[in-house]
Amino acid sequence: MSDMDSFAERAVRRVARRTSRRSLLTLIGGAITGAAVIPVLPVSRAVASTHGGGKSGLPPQTTGNPQDPGDQTQCDYWRYCAIDGFLCSCCGGTASACPPGTEMSPITWIGTCLNPADGRSYIISYNDCCGKSSCGRCLCNRNESDRPMVRPQSNNDINWCLGTESGSVYNCSTAVILGTALESK
Amino acid sequence: MKVRRFLGAAALAIVAGAAQAASYPEPLANEPIPNVVELSAQYPASWVYVHDLHFNSLPDGRAAIVDVAADVRAFKGQVPVAQFGTLLPSTTRPEIYVAETFFSRMTRGERTDVITIWDKATLKPKGEIVLPGGKRGQFVTLRNSFQLTNGEKWALLFNFTPASSVSVIDIDARKILNEIDLPGCSLVYPTGPRGFTSLCADGTMTSIELDTAGKVAASSTSKPINDIDHDPMFMTPAMVGKTAWFATFKGNIHGLDLANAKARDLGVFQMPKEKTAEGEWRPGGWQVISADAAGRLYVLMNPAGKEGSHKDGGSEVWVVDPARKQRVARIPLQNPAVSVEVTAQSAPLLVASRSDGSLDVYDATSGAFQRTLAQVVHDPMTMTASR
Repeated sequence: MSDMDSFAERAVRRVARRTSRRSLLTLIGGAITGAAVIPVLPVSRAVASTHGGGKSGLPPQTTGNPQDPGDQTQCDYWRYCAIDGFLCSCCGGTASACPPGTEMSPITWIGTCLNPADGRSYIISYNDCCGKSSCGRCLCNRNESDRPMVRPQSNNDINWCLGTESGSVYNCSTAVILGTALESK
Repeated sequence: MKVRRFLGAAALAIVAGAAQAASYPEPLANEPIPNVVELSAQYPASWVYVHDLHFNSLPDGRAAIVDVAADVRAFKGQVPVAQFGTLLPSTTRPEIYVAETFFSRMTRGERTDVITIWDKATLKPKGEIVLPGGKRGQFVTLRNSFQLTNGEKWALLFNFTPASSVSVIDIDARKILNEIDLPGCSLVYPTGPRGFTSLCADGTMTSIELDTAGKVAASSTSKPINDIDHDPMFMTPAMVGKTAWFATFKGNIHGLDLANAKARDLGVFQMPKEKTAEGEWRPGGWQVISADAAGRLYVLMNPAGKEGSHKDGGSEVWVVDPARKQRVARIPLQNPAVSVEVTAQSAPLLVASRSDGSLDVYDATSGAFQRTLAQVVHDPMTMTASR
């Protein structure tokens, strides 16, 4: 164990030396607040398939609020700009609530999405809903700025239900507004 | 009326039956019950393990074992690979190792992480190594989360909680020898006779040499080699001997020499840069690169390459000779593919998995399409050819 500890210490120091402060903060922040990411079926939108980005085939589900426009069952809804997984809107939940009986992961991947109605950029938290098996509806997979597992805080292939009490079984993904971003894009 | 019609039909059947029986004097032989197929302990090189992530029911993942050279009875059998599990066939023993996770009540209850040891001939479990702590990393399957070292006597398993570590496991003794914390680094690439390399979030790679007890004997970290912001390496390399060839998002090929205790960067060479109406040709899919026994690389390419296209699959396979650093052939695919794998046969076969779970098989040398194997799995993310 002692050699493990000393190795870990050396490794931490090495990483700290080599990582810029900002990226280190991102890494730590991700680990604490929960960087998260949503499991995803990484198959193609453009070429290989109808998975993860095609039309859901469901009737439109809107908020009724003109300031929050779009269909929450479709992958192109504005809040889903960095989402990956089954849309909870199609699974008994909403864009910001988990389906009954599931547990919302405290760990989330944060994205910044532009609301086309008010022109503001919002910080969106992609919390997973956990504890029941895969919902199976409205799979949505967007990979812009996604990076491989080498950088977990930027990777959307990870099952972040690992942060829940009920275990790590993944059901669906939400897109919760946390606030406005400081700068509009 | 109904009775009369039934009797008439029965009489006709008896007459017809008598005529047919005259052609076949002996009835079919009785068949034994129970009757279960067994496989050979050594799989032919045309067999491929096709991992099914089973995204619509993740606790029930599995892998199909498929003879991609066969038109008939190509599907040989199945091994469970539960909850973002990873399958790892031994090349020296008649065993398949599966690192997986169960809950006592399937979707809830007590979590058990375990390495299950399967017998290749019977496809029955012959042992298991329970992994305490609920640490096993869960993500869309990557082969390099679970690898072998030390002459295949030890397994290396990547943990992610989200703290990163690697467990060193003695397969014979069925016990965990060590757990090595690896902050900021991911996955395991077996390196040297006894050790591994991990790729790190700051673009470096760290090589760990293990002693005979599985403890860290030496470690070293490289300068940054992986441009994660602008042109990251896909995580699954094609292995040619002990050289790992990685494709990058923008279509470069990056080699790492893993033969000795410390990984050596072989540098990067470019595949041809070709613009298209939709963008440019870039690698796309999940497992985008594989190699044949002669050392040629096969890269799944997407004609609509741009930022964010890296998981969109591909419609061509580019064949690259890493010794000459040249593309030597293009293989247009019959159908878009998610992942590619090439068999280790002397006349290799190229397997392209489709998002509907079918496999398309090509002669890797000529590029000629050979066959489609339909309905193999649900979500064919990773494939591992028998070796």
